[in-house]
Amino acid sequence: MADYDRRGGSSYNPRKRRYRDDDDHDRRGPPPAYGRRRFDGPPPHVRVRKQLIAIAENPMRSWHDEVTHIANLFTDNWDDELLRGNFVDLVLQLAVEQPLKTPFTAAVVLFANAARPQVVDMLLAKLTARIEEKIGAGEWRDVKLYLKLLACLQPCLEGEGVFPVLEELFARAVDLQTASSEDTIGTEIVKIILLTLPYVMVAAPGKWTQKAADLMDKTDIIASEPHTLQTLVDPYHPEPGDESPPQCQSLIGLLQSQLQNEANNGWALSCLPRPWEFPLSEVEQRAKLEDAPKHALPPIKIPETVVTGPRPLFPEVYISVYANQDVESVPPLSNAASSLIRDALVDTINVLDYNRNVTARHLIDLDCYFAPRTFAARATPFDKLRDIEPPKSTWKPEDVAVDAVFSQLFQLPAPEHKLVYYHSVLTEACKLAPAAIAPSLGRAIRYLYRNSPRMDLELAHRFLDWFTHHLSNFGFTWKWTEWVDDVYLPDVHPRKAFILGALDKEIRLSFAQRIKNTVPEPYRELITEEKEKDQPDFKFANDDTPFAAEGREIAALLKRKGPDEEIDAVIQRIQSQAIDRDLDALVASTDVFVTCVLHIGSKTLSHVLAAIERTKDRLADAGAASDAARTQIITAIMTYWSAHPGVALKIIEKLLNYSILTPETVIQWALTGFAGRTKGEALATAHVYEMVFNTVVKVTGRVRQLASRPLSTMGDTDEAETREREVSAMRALFSVIQSALTAWESGKDVDMADGEGNSDAESQQMVKRWAERWLRVFRRRATVEEAFLVEAERERARRKEREEEEARKKAEAGNADAEVVDAPAAAA
Amino acid sequence: MRGPRGTVERLDQPSAYFSRNKRRRLEKENRDGENNEDPNAHNDQPEEDPLKNATTLYVGNLSFYTTEEQVYELFSKCGEIKRLIMGLDRFQKTPCGFCFVEYYTHQDALDCMKYIGGTKLDERIIRTDLDPGFTEGRQYGRGKSGGQVRDEYREDYDEGRGGLGRALQLARERERENRQYNDDDYGRLK
Repeated sequence: MADYDRRGGSSYNPRKRRYRDDDDHDRRGPPPAYGRRRFDGPPPHVRVRKQLIAIAENPMRSWHDEVTHIANLFTDNWDDELLRGNFVDLVLQLAVEQPLKTPFTAAVVLFANAARPQVVDMLLAKLTARIEEKIGAGEWRDVKLYLKLLACLQPCLEGEGVFPVLEELFARAVDLQTASSEDTIGTEIVKIILLTLPYVMVAAPGKWTQKAADLMDKTDIIASEPHTLQTLVDPYHPEPGDESPPQCQSLIGLLQSQLQNEANNGWALSCLPRPWEFPLSEVEQRAKLEDAPKHALPPIKIPETVVTGPRPLFPEVYISVYANQDVESVPPLSNAASSLIRDALVDTINVLDYNRNVTARHLIDLDCYFAPRTFAARATPFDKLRDIEPPKSTWKPEDVAVDAVFSQLFQLPAPEHKLVYYHSVLTEACKLAPAAIAPSLGRAIRYLYRNSPRMDLELAHRFLDWFTHHLSNFGFTWKWTEWVDDVYLPDVHPRKAFILGALDKEIRLSFAQRIKNTVPEPYRELITEEKEKDQPDFKFANDDTPFAAEGREIAALLKRKGPDEEIDAVIQRIQSQAIDRDLDALVASTDVFVTCVLHIGSKTLSHVLAAIERTKDRLADAGAASDAARTQIITAIMTYWSAHPGVALKIIEKLLNYSILTPETVIQWALTGFAGRTKGEALATAHVYEMVFNTVVKVTGRVRQLASRPLSTMGDTDEAETREREVSAMRALFSVIQSALTAWESGKDVDMADGEGNSDAESQQMVKRWAERWLRVFRRRATVEEAFLVEAERERARRKEREEEEARKKAEAGNADAEVVDAPAAAA
Repeated sequence: MRGPRGTVERLDQPSAYFSRNKRRRLEKENRDGENNEDPNAHNDQPEEDPLKNATTLYVGNLSFYTTEEQVYELFSKCGEIKRLIMGLDRFQKTPCGFCFVEYYTHQDALDCMKYIGGTKLDERIIRTDLDPGFTEGRQYGRGKSGGQVRDEYREDYDEGRGGLGRALQLARERERENRQYNDDDYGRLK
């Protein structure tokens, strides 16, 4: 239980005594006589740990001071066994937990090597074992991070050091790439090689230019060729007629050309820190480092076949929300700094998802971890960047940090962690340094708002979701006045759709009156009176509504939990009246009943869920009776909660869980029914997208769960059958979505009979564009899910092989041991 | 259990609340069970950690006015919510500033601790804690006046949570009543 405890009882910090247990007795022993008390400080292993973990955090300390200090503290206490063992483990741990610090910890090792060369051997033994293990498991990020550490240790390695490892890795990449053009592991490996290389070049300057050039000649073929899957992950989806579509470059293609530039420039790599370099005045220290012994790198075995690992791999593209500014506030694409800094930050962000405060801290302090003068001073206002004289850097550390987070938030097909993690990192960064971060976010928001119409639709919705969630953490303050003109655009226009979606999402996180007070006058019109009501009107309270009396009767019966027969009777009455009026009887009675259930549950979600729970049999029967009736359930919900679509969506989600609704019903309602009634303008509505998207996520999530479930030996065939069934249901769902959307995209469904003027043609054009964007999202999702299934299939086969292997081994061992085991078994 | 201690603290660990309560319970059992034949019986088997697979979170520091829908909206960002139980005033049956959110998976609950705990909902910083699971009765405040204990003697004025602590409010009201009563008395005598 101890390590579950937040109080950190095991850390050494005498000031934290007060947090210990109440029943803790005083462990200090008798107080020493006055004047003789001596403070020893914590033991060396504690001091080294603390200082190593905090390395480079303090900008006021010079790197070489800090590095030599820690290295000396370590080597001076070499006899401390606890320290010796812990040190190596801690260096390895820091490499994968706090990647920004790797060059610094490596410098400590390099310096310690001068006094205690054994430490490097200890480290290399463990490090190479880890690299081997991670390659085997396909945990490519860890491979990269450990290789980065190894690269920084290049000066103390014998022979060619890390190069043979990189070359062998490359050989695997070539095999994979020649085998399949859709291969992504090879791409990943090349990325790792290219990102490792710069660290070798700064750690051992001048020595390896030929080796590097050879390696880069080889990687060029893979890196410069655009990947077949690249369009799948392109964050932009410009219209055909777009005059300046935003450029989007493959990460490894970019890296290859950037490093080529560096090679031509003698590998200046001016952004990378070189904490192992000592000022010229420190002759002694420099000599020590020069003369330190070299070590043989233990061999790293790379398996013949490498695997994708736990995370699906896709080609990556470089994206920046600060592109095309008149002053460069982030490194330009031509400079390797853009890729190298981004890589280190993205790793930090994704590795530290379990402590967003620390992530934010690293982002704010990022200038501590790169070469001095790489960035402009912190919190320099954007306008002041113009005044900076040329040789000095205009890169704003805040922009670079924010850009890195957005690159993840807008990663396709999906970032490593839940989107809300990246929201929370931006929130914390904004809390830590509001004056510095907030203006950067503001410029990012403006860029995204301007460009969201040409962005991939899924990303545009991620932007919407982040924007509203972010504002909810900062009192809903935003300069809405600058977008005021867009309020007058038609609802189907993408920017107006964004505004409408944002207001709705803000209200969901807060309440209408509050949000109304945060926006300027023109926006307030968009927040209708209905949105300010806690509970919607009950349409049957009005006698003019058809079936008003019956509606009230059913509501009353539901409220006092009246017997089923009485409800049956009223429903019969509605149905016969409907037939008289030439209406669909089932649709009419379903509408009345569902509306009544919603009405008696209108107070809170708990109320409506309880009401659904009580009436679920009748609802299921209604849904099963006919397609039209099932669709009517959704229509009734969306109508009743039209002012609060968020509530409607949650109710629909629950009905899907009860299987009262099917995923197809939801899709049909949204993309055919509702879209038809609105002439396709429904496609511009954020909550309609959300409804379809959530439904798809639910279905694909279930399929993924089934596909990756470990095989139980018993129900093998049963499981396979269920899986097959769910997979084909998913495929069917995707084809329903695609055919509905294709109709909108081609404009076939558009009924131009009532021949309106230009405005209508214009909005139909926009509808087509929406359909195009929708289509791309769901086609991609279908592709990604298929890729997942293929990989899951492979994994199942591998697992089966392993299990059989083990079983065989066990059987063999069992036979051999049988006679020996017999005796003690009998005795027991 | 988790391997070596990390270089960065994790945000998805439970507070000391449950381990503390458990220790107290154990100590009490130890004291009470001194005369039993085997006072160390429960030490023989390592205790199952009740939070190991927890899917429920206790959520605290909500405003009394925060609705279920708002909680859903925010907490769904970490995964589908299986069940939401609003904390209610024991007597008035109105929200009293806490709730239990139950997810379908343990991972969603951990992610919620990491990404949502300590952020704002309805413009208040909320607190999340892993919870072994909701049991009937826990939805009610355990303070004397029906709300949460922390709202009894709170000395700061918190508009979202009914102003001052209720016990303090009550005391002040009584004081005021007494004074008025005296005034009236005085008036009548005149």
